[in-house]
Amino acid sequence: MKKLLLSTVLLALGSTVYGQRKIDFVEYDLPNGMHVILHEEHATPIVAVSVLYHVGSKNEVADRTGFAHFFEHLLFEGTVNIGRGEYSKIVERNGGTLNANTSQDRTFYFELLPSNKLELGLWLESERLLHAKVDTKGIETQRSVVKEEKRQRVDNQPYASFITEMSKRMFLNHPYNWVPIGSMEHLDAAQEEDYVNFYKNYYVPSNATLSIAGDIDIAQTKKLIDSYFASIPKGQALNLYRDFVNYSDGEFETKYKIAKSKFDAKQFMASKNPEAKKLIADFQNKPIEIKRTQKDTEAIKGIIKEEIQDNIQLSGLFMGYKFPEQTHPDSYALEMLNDVLSGGSSSRINKTIVEKKQMANFAFSFNFGLEDAGMGIFAAIASNGINLDDLQKEFDQQIDLVKNELISQEEFEKVRNKFENDLISSNATISGISENLADNHVYFKNTNRVNTQLNEYMKVTREDIQRVAKKYFTQDTRIILHYVPKAK
Amino acid sequence: MKKLILTTLLSMPIILTAQIDRSIQPVAGKAPVINIKDSETFTLDNGITVILSENHKLPRVSFDLFMGSDPRLENNKAGLADMAGSLILSGTSNKSKDQLDKEIDYIGASLSADKSSITLSCLTKHMNTGLGLMSDVLLNANFPESEVERIRNQSKDGLISMKSDASSMANNATVKVNFPNHPFGEVMTEESLTSISRDDIVNYYKTNFTPKGSYLVIVGDITKQEAIAITNQYFSSWSGNQAYKNDLSFGKMAKGNQVYFVKKPGAVQSVVYITFPIEMKSGDKNQLPLTVLNGILGGGGFGTRLFQNLREDKAYTYGCYSNVTVTENGSWMSAGGNFRNAITDSAIIEILKEFEVITSELVKDEELSLTKSSMSGNFGRSLERPQTIARFALNIKKNNLEEDYYKTYLQRLDAVTKEYVLAMAKKYFTAKNCNIIVVGNEEIIGNLTKFDSDGKVDLLDPFGNPLKEGKPADITKEQLYSNYISAVTKTQNQKELAKKMKKLKSYESKTELTNPQVPAPFVMMSYWMSPKIEAEKVEGMGMVLQKSYSDGKKGYTFSQGNRKEMTDAEVAKKAKTAGVFPELFYKELNLTLTGIEMVDGKEMYVVKQIDDEGESFIYFNKSNFLKEKMVAIRKQGEETVESSVTFGDYKDVGGFLFPHTTSIGFGPFTLSGKVTSIILNKKPDLSSFK
Repeated sequence: MKKLLLSTVLLALGSTVYGQRKIDFVEYDLPNGMHVILHEEHATPIVAVSVLYHVGSKNEVADRTGFAHFFEHLLFEGTVNIGRGEYSKIVERNGGTLNANTSQDRTFYFELLPSNKLELGLWLESERLLHAKVDTKGIETQRSVVKEEKRQRVDNQPYASFITEMSKRMFLNHPYNWVPIGSMEHLDAAQEEDYVNFYKNYYVPSNATLSIAGDIDIAQTKKLIDSYFASIPKGQALNLYRDFVNYSDGEFETKYKIAKSKFDAKQFMASKNPEAKKLIADFQNKPIEIKRTQKDTEAIKGIIKEEIQDNIQLSGLFMGYKFPEQTHPDSYALEMLNDVLSGGSSSRINKTIVEKKQMANFAFSFNFGLEDAGMGIFAAIASNGINLDDLQKEFDQQIDLVKNELISQEEFEKVRNKFENDLISSNATISGISENLADNHVYFKNTNRVNTQLNEYMKVTREDIQRVAKKYFTQDTRIILHYVPKAK
Repeated sequence: MKKLILTTLLSMPIILTAQIDRSIQPVAGKAPVINIKDSETFTLDNGITVILSENHKLPRVSFDLFMGSDPRLENNKAGLADMAGSLILSGTSNKSKDQLDKEIDYIGASLSADKSSITLSCLTKHMNTGLGLMSDVLLNANFPESEVERIRNQSKDGLISMKSDASSMANNATVKVNFPNHPFGEVMTEESLTSISRDDIVNYYKTNFTPKGSYLVIVGDITKQEAIAITNQYFSSWSGNQAYKNDLSFGKMAKGNQVYFVKKPGAVQSVVYITFPIEMKSGDKNQLPLTVLNGILGGGGFGTRLFQNLREDKAYTYGCYSNVTVTENGSWMSAGGNFRNAITDSAIIEILKEFEVITSELVKDEELSLTKSSMSGNFGRSLERPQTIARFALNIKKNNLEEDYYKTYLQRLDAVTKEYVLAMAKKYFTAKNCNIIVVGNEEIIGNLTKFDSDGKVDLLDPFGNPLKEGKPADITKEQLYSNYISAVTKTQNQKELAKKMKKLKSYESKTELTNPQVPAPFVMMSYWMSPKIEAEKVEGMGMVLQKSYSDGKKGYTFSQGNRKEMTDAEVAKKAKTAGVFPELFYKELNLTLTGIEMVDGKEMYVVKQIDDEGESFIYFNKSNFLKEKMVAIRKQGEETVESSVTFGDYKDVGGFLFPHTTSIGFGPFTLSGKVTSIILNKKPDLSSFK
């Protein structure tokens, strides 16, 4: 009785106040198509400058896997105005930090700087977009570095290949078939034209989102953005300019039937020569078509069960289901479902498989949501001497349970409280804010989702959770991988 | 329409501002003022020091309770503190673990604990519920026997997995060599885990979790008044003994460079740590300049010497870093990274070179200013997290720093000169007395000898203890084999042996192999018929799983439903050693007697065999010359894998000794076998091999 009362009180608390902190922002498009998002807050005198390019490993061609990530490494090498190796040093010398990451869907670059160095951040990112420059030494070095990254993060890590192995079987007719780290042979095969084409096709303003958060003045920041980014040529005029910078006189004239000397080298876009002017105007009106991929809704064909040998001591079980893309309305319920199964010590999987039955040292599930599709993954590192088929039966039992019965009211409240806690705690740092804003714009076409996400979770009902369990945990179409110690 | 106007307006500045000169790096605006907010401190009567850092940006709050005891030696119970730490949340005298987990998750909070702290983090509105649970754990943790056993089993598996994790093994070796006879240098092993009892754990908790000398750090959306009220409400009834104080050594410096190697079969990269202890305790006035020095050498960032040299110039690695860890109880340096096998030694050369240079030459002004800027930037950024402010206050209290220590941090950083940096390098760093830890593929050991000042690489086991070493053999390979043959054939000389072997015409044995994971046993049948016919078959689950046959002229193998004919060379190779005792033909094989090693608690002669498939090792018991074990290491692509077979319970059958128990292992998977029959000189039925 007492317990019930407690739940009711907490329920009342939980359902009335959703204290997600409101993130104010302004957003607009530059004439060249670049999207800009600005968030101003002055708690700490720092600023996050980030650019999200909507290109990831899913935009790679099948014989150049790993290229998007490799290219990310190359874009730290230098630019026309920044010498090799200087890019990161400039940031550090100015008390900042920087990095980047590449996923299946996007490539994300950021600098965190003292707020008086905002302009420096804009200059650096505009150089990356306008003037990237890579020499042979840079290419060869980064090629080796990326290979070492793969050895360190995947090949030499126990179980680390499971996302690769899962994707390979989950996405037969979609470029999610491979993962961002890609193939070493493909990197070796990359040619100069691959770099040039990738830059020209994907590193363009209309494929980029500039997101800035922190101790800034919006009006002042807009002015700076105009100087550094609005001045970047529109459409194919950008690639015309890039060729102007990189080509020799002869090469340029052969390609464009006009001498380089007719252009104004200092102010290319303001070239006065009528021929040059006309060419620039023509190219400005030629849009750059970004090749987009399609949603992947193809079901897994039956039960794909395979054994994978790895340098491990304890066997592991990895099970995958096809989930919808992350923007699908079912995603909210799916995430809450995952929390019932695997969120926290009291979750069903931890309580039964790890603690009560002690069949696994770790057991958990997670949702891997991507732009065109998703995966629901169950994973466990078996206790010594436990048979993987038996372990799978335990997972299956838990899956059957969420499919056949509504979760309890108490469990439902727990999950709601958890999401409330998590969403309130998110957006605690300006770097997190700049990234969330950009993601919400690019994937959800709704930047303000940073402020409304919690409401979406609170709309989910227990029935929704059961419905999505039934819909997506398809026992006759799934992937089951057994990781076993390497034998003879 | 509105949008159109906006676009037009926006496009205007292009012309106006196209003047920016992109070849010039923009200059910074006026430097922002860095404010460090003050935190509040107060004490409770039972000895807890409370540090409060208010921050109302988000409606959440955290409580970190740190104990004030120093670590102590655990000797044969190494790992006790860690195990106790992972059991603190296992239940209280009021609530089972299940209830506790459920109630914490219900309010979306997180409650965690380790060997010297308990932490709660939750939304402010759930603070009272959360603190109720936290204080229940603190006052009434009851360590149920069932949970102790569960965590013991989990730790056992953890120790097994650790053997495939190169970084963990490198960490074990690092603390072991730097900190002998020091709590830092104690690493849990299978033996020490077994000897930890529930009483030990309860006692650990009682003596180490005491309010005296402890700190409660509160961060977030809470006022001082509230903080005073709730700390009194939830923590004032807690009592305990004085905190334990231990005067610990600074660790042990190596004499000359010492190489330690831990084998990781199949590794494609080596983990390299170049490490030595540092004579410093946290709060030392040299700590900040030492951090500057480390920042220049390899302490994070892209611009450091190690990163620029080993990654950006040589492309040996994804990242090469150095870390200086300074604590109240001991400090050390560790520099290194992951390097592919072929260039592991080149990487060590470069890292040592960087140590040599930085300990003998002034750093460049440019490097010094880069590192200082980068550190002051880190400092400024760290203030975004309210936890930082609280950590500052905690350090000031714990290490008796001046009250304005962090407020003057940037000034003191700015005052560090390159001369001072060199003095720090000379005082604390070395290129000549380093412990060089390498975890990797055995094939590279030979390349590492050159770094060791004694010319000898010390082999360590995965826990950082010396690998049980062998000694040279006291007999020759010929004597060993002749002793073995005479033992198993029960003969005294060549003549007797020849006579006895001539009478042996056939052999047939049946072995049942079991494993707890396999429902029904596998049955292995082995046959030999004079002179060259050999056959073998494994059946299980009503099927033939594997089969092989060879008769000196032809042969095949059958596995997973596929039959594969042997090549002439394979048939010839098998024929060379066909017989009940292949050791009779040892001269046909490429064997070396490598020495005597302690294996499974016994002294054994070790024979190494090399053929085109890889290496294998054969172990003979030194006391009776019987063969006890074979370990095969086979190449698979770039990597190697290990499998083993043991032989035991030798018994007489028809005047010969045959093993009657066996086990076949690959990784942790083992089949245990019992020989159920051996039949000699009765023509076997080989029809199923036709």
